[in-house]
Amino acid sequence: MKTIVSFVLAVSIFLCTAHATVDDALSFALQAAQPYVKEGFTVREDYWGGDLPVKQPKAIVQQLFKGNEYWFWMGTDVASAKISVHVYDAEGHLAEAEYWRNKPHMAAVRVVPKVSGSYYLIVEIEKSPLERTHWSLAYGFR
Amino acid sequence: MVCAAFLGPVCFAQGEPPRSIDVGSLPATVVDEVVVPVPTEVFGVLDKLGSPNWHDVLRPVKTENLGKRPQVALLLGVTIAEGFIAVEAQEAEEVKKIGRQVLTLSKAIGVQKSVISRTSSIIEAADKKDWQTIRLELDGASKDVKQAMIELEDAQLAQLVSLGGWLRGTEALTQVVGKNYNKDGAELLHQPAILEYFQRKLDTLNPRLKENTLVKKIARRLPELHTLIEPAGGVSPQKVEKIHSITAELVKAISSQD
Repeated sequence: MKTIVSFVLAVSIFLCTAHATVDDALSFALQAAQPYVKEGFTVREDYWGGDLPVKQPKAIVQQLFKGNEYWFWMGTDVASAKISVHVYDAEGHLAEAEYWRNKPHMAAVRVVPKVSGSYYLIVEIEKSPLERTHWSLAYGFR
Repeated sequence: MVCAAFLGPVCFAQGEPPRSIDVGSLPATVVDEVVVPVPTEVFGVLDKLGSPNWHDVLRPVKTENLGKRPQVALLLGVTIAEGFIAVEAQEAEEVKKIGRQVLTLSKAIGVQKSVISRTSSIIEAADKKDWQTIRLELDGASKDVKQAMIELEDAQLAQLVSLGGWLRGTEALTQVVGKNYNKDGAELLHQPAILEYFQRKLDTLNPRLKENTLVKKIARRLPELHTLIEPAGGVSPQKVEKIHSITAELVKAISSQD
């Protein structure tokens, strides 16, 4: 019985820790968003997140609308990690207006879509001391 | 070039991102989840293109004689989308009614605890005519009920909330564009990723949900909608009308008694 309780406790602690780190990554993404909220961007409550090994990018397909301007903010809980997010249109052409990735914990990209449709967001952990690094991606529009 | 093995020509570690990638060879690690746009993302563009009469689009939502759980989940999505329309119309009283209806519907599927504070904020913000706060709280309410459903191991039901909201939002969009057709407005209907996502989700529903009459009815019409929205760069007035007719029929079915 004692073993089972210890196991359940260990699993719970592991799950809580894993969850907390994605939450931490999100909090950095939202921190990156703050200055843009003041510029009139509405930040969505939904977000993406998970963990990734170094140099193994992940693709996210997202609908964007011509007439809006978007910022995507990526965050990680690992201060020394280097992360990036870039956006491509349905034909695979780089579609971003600007990006930055020179701040600890954060990277961001701005898109002003030329057409409405599907876009590919490519997120990557470029450098990290960890085998897998938690990340989160939020977005806003105006 | 270690990353080339995972993402074809995509490799950012060298510095600047490549000017183009081969989208046909994206890795298996494509995130399955699509964030379904909130109606405001579309309505905001319509506002920039002209001055739609949102009062004409706004419709009272009924919550009497609620049906089975899938219908309630779909209706919850429709109601939240109606909230966004009420905000566009700046109808504070309607927003308050919708806030209360969101709570009633959430209660019917056992997730009311997750939205009590959101609905209170919606009602308070409606009193102050604080439209931006209402938009944020409606988005938050949608996320919170879906999260509560996932925690209750009812993630598939959560997809129906998104689907109901998308159907009502698209019905509203086609009503506005149909009334005063313009190419830029019609282009907002080009949403292949969303349609593919919903089709994928309905295909993988558990048999109990899949056999629900309403869900079956919606699943039958989605491929048709997909064909209509497919051409990039514009959707013809005839197609806008057809999309409106399909989405209006489905929203009516969601809002009707079993």
